[in-house]
Amino acid sequence: MRLTRMGSFHQTRLSFMRTLLRRLKQEQWQFKRNLWAINAQGFGRAVYTVYGPERVYSLVAFAHDLPDHMRSDRVIATAWDATFTLFDGIPNTADLDRLEQNVPKQEAGRISDSELSLSRANRSVRLWQHVVERLAAGQQPDRDQLEAVGYLVRTTAVYGSGKFGAADRLTIAERAEVSGPFQAEMLSVWLTRAFSIDLVEHIARAAGGAQAVGIDPQLRRHIGVGNSTGLGMAPFLINHPALLNNWMMAREEALARVRALPQAEPAAIADFKQHFERACFNVSQWHSEHPIQIEKLKSLRADLESMSSYIALEPLTEDHPWDRFYRWAEESLSLEGQEQLVSLLLEPYGELVDELAQCMDADEHLAFFIDGAMPVARLCEIVETRCQWALQVDYDQPENRARFWYTSAEKLEPRVGERFHEPGAEYELPLAVGCDIKLMYTALAPWKQERTIAEFLLVQPEHRHTVRRVQNLAARPYAEIQDNLIAADMLPIDILRCKLSFFGATRFDPRSDRWVRICMYQDAPFPHELLAAAP
Amino acid sequence: MSFHFTLAETETSLRKVARACGLDWGLAEEAGKAARWLAAFDLPGPEFMLAHLQQLAGMDYREYIPDSSAKPWHASGGLLCPIITGAALADRSAQMLGGEVFSLGPTAYPLLLAATVGQAARCHQTVFTTAWAGVRVSCFGNGLSIAGDQDDLLLNRVDAVTCRQDSLSTPQRLPSTMAYTIDSKIVECINELAFKTYAPATAESRAGAGAGLTDND
Repeated sequence: MRLTRMGSFHQTRLSFMRTLLRRLKQEQWQFKRNLWAINAQGFGRAVYTVYGPERVYSLVAFAHDLPDHMRSDRVIATAWDATFTLFDGIPNTADLDRLEQNVPKQEAGRISDSELSLSRANRSVRLWQHVVERLAAGQQPDRDQLEAVGYLVRTTAVYGSGKFGAADRLTIAERAEVSGPFQAEMLSVWLTRAFSIDLVEHIARAAGGAQAVGIDPQLRRHIGVGNSTGLGMAPFLINHPALLNNWMMAREEALARVRALPQAEPAAIADFKQHFERACFNVSQWHSEHPIQIEKLKSLRADLESMSSYIALEPLTEDHPWDRFYRWAEESLSLEGQEQLVSLLLEPYGELVDELAQCMDADEHLAFFIDGAMPVARLCEIVETRCQWALQVDYDQPENRARFWYTSAEKLEPRVGERFHEPGAEYELPLAVGCDIKLMYTALAPWKQERTIAEFLLVQPEHRHTVRRVQNLAARPYAEIQDNLIAADMLPIDILRCKLSFFGATRFDPRSDRWVRICMYQDAPFPHELLAAAP
Repeated sequence: MSFHFTLAETETSLRKVARACGLDWGLAEEAGKAARWLAAFDLPGPEFMLAHLQQLAGMDYREYIPDSSAKPWHASGGLLCPIITGAALADRSAQMLGGEVFSLGPTAYPLLLAATVGQAARCHQTVFTTAWAGVRVSCFGNGLSIAGDQDDLLLNRVDAVTCRQDSLSTPQRLPSTMAYTIDSKIVECINELAFKTYAPATAESRAGAGAGLTDND
């Protein structure tokens, strides 16, 4: 649970995009583009509907005429190439008219209980026009160029769970198909990908007429959806400790199950090797200009070579072969390589690990409860056994509390400030978890061991938030990032990568220490291909 | 004009209002949860919470701390805060499970108190009933029952309150997940106060959030 490791996570079988597609395939969901009212320039609206066994959802897309100078991925942007909402059911014309008045405005608009998400996307300047021109001329896009970018459009925010008027999370909490973490948002992004292909082909046809062609299906598979994620997402993992715990528990349990296997069947070994080859290819396509990621990729490439040698030398038929492999990796590989191996080890064992995806949701209300009857001694014991990572830091050293998290009045989004160089520390959010735990622990010292936490909190309410967190750790060992989140050398991109890996993202490309670009659904089937796709 | 305030927005906004009005984050979280819970039953939790927190702003927390050694509990400032006291009672929910009945003296917005205490019901899978004047509010793990004089439900201060575990089996009402309809002027007021928890923009905050490289490619 250290940031450097979390910042090296890769997508796995348990990632939310993969969970979603497995369910849709298993349940044989049907897809239909129910509306396509887009003009020759590519502006208008479209509706994509997915039909499940019990319910129906629709992506409502609006494509806009966006002047180039207004195109920005920053959350402070006010206009986008396309805007979207996931509608609960099939929208009628009145719904669409209402949504057209609001969805293009994003945060400045208002959606309703009938909508499950709100999002937007910009075209890739690097790729969009190239693909339009090639298709219009009857040619396929350049494969290298397409693979280098990996997407036609890049989402810049996908909001759900009651934000900007959208349906509350509890509205869908009992629906198996979307009750898992971020399933509605992932569905929205998957349909956005289909829309991006339809839109680029539509514009190419309008420009090229009879000579225009569609994208070759094999090439099309390599097109995902990009995403730019900044600091806004970072506090999520800190603000949802029960959820983080369950995500990590599922991942750890999955790894433990595979490592516990006494033997590896030939089919599993073959499957592993196939995924290993695919990982090598993915890494060859994974580029970054950020110095930290450049180094990490260099290590990862070396790690893959080491793994390749290991596989060549070790038959994987000995006792507990995966456990041996993992132990070797711990000694021999960088964190990037170790985490890549975690992802690969789960691949051949869907039957063993996929069910764990059902444990990744959380009843956060239960984690909210404070056990006031707990004696002071017990709370101190939890700190001492679970929070040494917090106690060991000297927060009097400026570098150990150099940062502070706050919400910006300008865009109502979280930001990280430099405590000793910027104004605003009085607005600090309660995200300095380690420091707060140590403060609480120090405050508990004068209290008699048998006194209760209820008594303590009545006198010192400033520790209430932290007591809640620490009590939570007794039952949820993975609930906290075990690192100093206000240290001078803390990298917000590590938190972002952890969360995005759970989404199922690939191609992590940090653009600074607090902003990362990724790719989603690259090489995944499209809606019309899903039923025939590999699991 | 009315506004559809989602339950998530209710919780988040009232938490910030509580913080802006001087409560620590932990208690502010209780305020957000209580406001949301009441809104889910179409009760005026957000409005009451705003009104109460506005009164609380600038006051000394110590004036509102219940003297828990006294019977009934009372505050040195004269009026118990339903959030501070409700949280203190929720922290003592194990004592209520053991049969203890807590009695309180003068209390502001007892409906907010009932909701704050009620958050513990789900964890214990039980029912906590808060009673004042002629009304009893019973909070279930996932439901609510109200008995007695409905007018008393909306009192903004009462002289006596009791709180205890109950043995009711079925709630009269289940919570909605739909947005809560509220006067948009109240929402403006909530947003204005919540805004006070945000740091004004600086050149550093603008530069620091986005890409160091181009973000448009």
